[in-house]
Amino acid sequence: MMRPPDSTRTGAGSRWTLSTASEIADAVREGKASAEEVTRAFLAHADRTSDRLGTWLHRMPEEALRAARAVDLKRTGGARLGALAGVPIAIKDNIAIRGIPTTCGSKILEGYRPPYDAHVIERLREADAIVVGKTNCDEFAMGSSTENSAYHPTRNPWDPSRVPGGSSGGSAAAVAAREAPLALGSDTGGSVRQPAAFCGVYGLKPTYGAVSRYGLVAFASSLDQIGPFARTARDTALAYNAIAGPDARDMTSRAEAKPVDLAALDRGVQGLTFGVPRELLEGDGLAPEIRSCFDATAEAFRAHGARLVDVSLPNAKYSIATYYLIAPAEASSNLARYDGVRFGLRAPAKDLREMYEKTRRQGFGREVRRRILLGTYALSAGYYDAYYLRAQKVRTLIRADFMKALGAADALLLPVTPTTAFGIGEKVEDPLAMYLNDIFSIPASLAGVPALSFPAGFGPTGLPIGLQLVGRPFAEETLLRAARAHEGWNDASKKAPPIATEAAA
Amino acid sequence: MPIDAGTVEKIAALARLELDPAERERLVRELQAILSYVEQLQAVDVTGIEPTSQVTEGDPPPLRADVAGPCDVRDEVLAQAPDRDGDYFRVPKVV
Repeated sequence: MMRPPDSTRTGAGSRWTLSTASEIADAVREGKASAEEVTRAFLAHADRTSDRLGTWLHRMPEEALRAARAVDLKRTGGARLGALAGVPIAIKDNIAIRGIPTTCGSKILEGYRPPYDAHVIERLREADAIVVGKTNCDEFAMGSSTENSAYHPTRNPWDPSRVPGGSSGGSAAAVAAREAPLALGSDTGGSVRQPAAFCGVYGLKPTYGAVSRYGLVAFASSLDQIGPFARTARDTALAYNAIAGPDARDMTSRAEAKPVDLAALDRGVQGLTFGVPRELLEGDGLAPEIRSCFDATAEAFRAHGARLVDVSLPNAKYSIATYYLIAPAEASSNLARYDGVRFGLRAPAKDLREMYEKTRRQGFGREVRRRILLGTYALSAGYYDAYYLRAQKVRTLIRADFMKALGAADALLLPVTPTTAFGIGEKVEDPLAMYLNDIFSIPASLAGVPALSFPAGFGPTGLPIGLQLVGRPFAEETLLRAARAHEGWNDASKKAPPIATEAAA
Repeated sequence: MPIDAGTVEKIAALARLELDPAERERLVRELQAILSYVEQLQAVDVTGIEPTSQVTEGDPPPLRADVAGPCDVRDEVLAQAPDRDGDYFRVPKVV
């Protein structure tokens, strides 16, 4: 049996932690590696790195090794293994795993253990993936920095004084630091794409309806979508294929979500047309290093055979205002269920009403309270038409802009973020400033179309830059094909932060 | 439109959220800033535009047969209760 160089002792820098999910799955399927040794390598590496990064809320070493041994037994028993055979995967802590703590980064769910698995967890197990733990996130996925976790912040593997982005910051940091080759997050207004950009990894927000939300704790139900993090376009496709497709328990899930054809990823960008939404780029606040990376990337696509066309998204500038009415409105409704009656935190009180009010005061953090109040206001009598209903109408216009632009182009090229990763604590006192960072990620969420954040370069201080491809409904394959081509001439996705490769102390 | 401490108090009551006075004052400022920002939507012409409550392309999965299935998680669910009385969730007095 072929073995990695002493993986039990050198974990960090071992062949397995630096391997892609595709390489691991092939090796495990062919019997060149056991799922157990691969899992041990990742667990050992994370033992050394995760306390410094604050990646996890709950690690699952025993469950992971048990699952890995079961995969190995399945193989030696002659069964054919799944597409993610023996591949460790990190799960954002707002996705339910039966019997495993699921807090959504909130005190109100401290101690809660779901009595069921999310659809994506069932699908990952069918693919023989190994779930290794629950990752840190902004409370109830509300935030862009993972600083809103009620437990601890997560640090950016490229620079621990900076945020990893959010809300799925733990999942992005885990993949960037090689604590897991794959992770799942959830994206409501950018919560997969933005941390992927800040941490220099791939992050895919699938088409709304491509992945079942059964078992994803609801934040804004018309926007929430589960998506994967990975270090290559192909691995992103593997993870997407494992989780996409219809599920009778989510009536918004869709059979139109077909698996990506992995062979089609190698077709290059010849013949593809990319739309460039000029007016969005001309707005204030786009950092020069992101702008120059954007221009260089667009030019590289053109040089490799793609066509560039200017497109217009005239209503995209209203996206943040639209989103910060719709998402809090839906959140205020979804979060009404946290009342201290059936699970989680309960504050002592003299009567039922006081119990609700004190439980929710103690259990929810500042950002969550702020959004519940904003949403309650937007939905309240007298303001509903002026705020919520109007925002839903503007959403119609934004979506129409996208469908028109995507009629003229196979995909749109956009930044993900106006700047590279900001410092921990830098924006925490100004919620509106934090929201304004979402200008490039929110539009695709409102339009319900797929969007991929891919590593495209580095800023002058060595922080990753991600760019975004936005596609037609259920055209995830086009986005991944373009990103796969980009990987062929650009090495941004191949660089690792020092913590990912450092030798064991 | 301006938002004041009384409005924040009222929506906090609707949302069943206790607020202390310092937080109420801070929320007046923060919500005012956010609401001033979203005011820009009033300038958009939405005459005749249908609202989008959800973007759903394609067909929903087929409905399952309307047959009761087993629910074998009662004990797991009840074990989560902050307070219970046998098979019941117990709460403080209601009135």
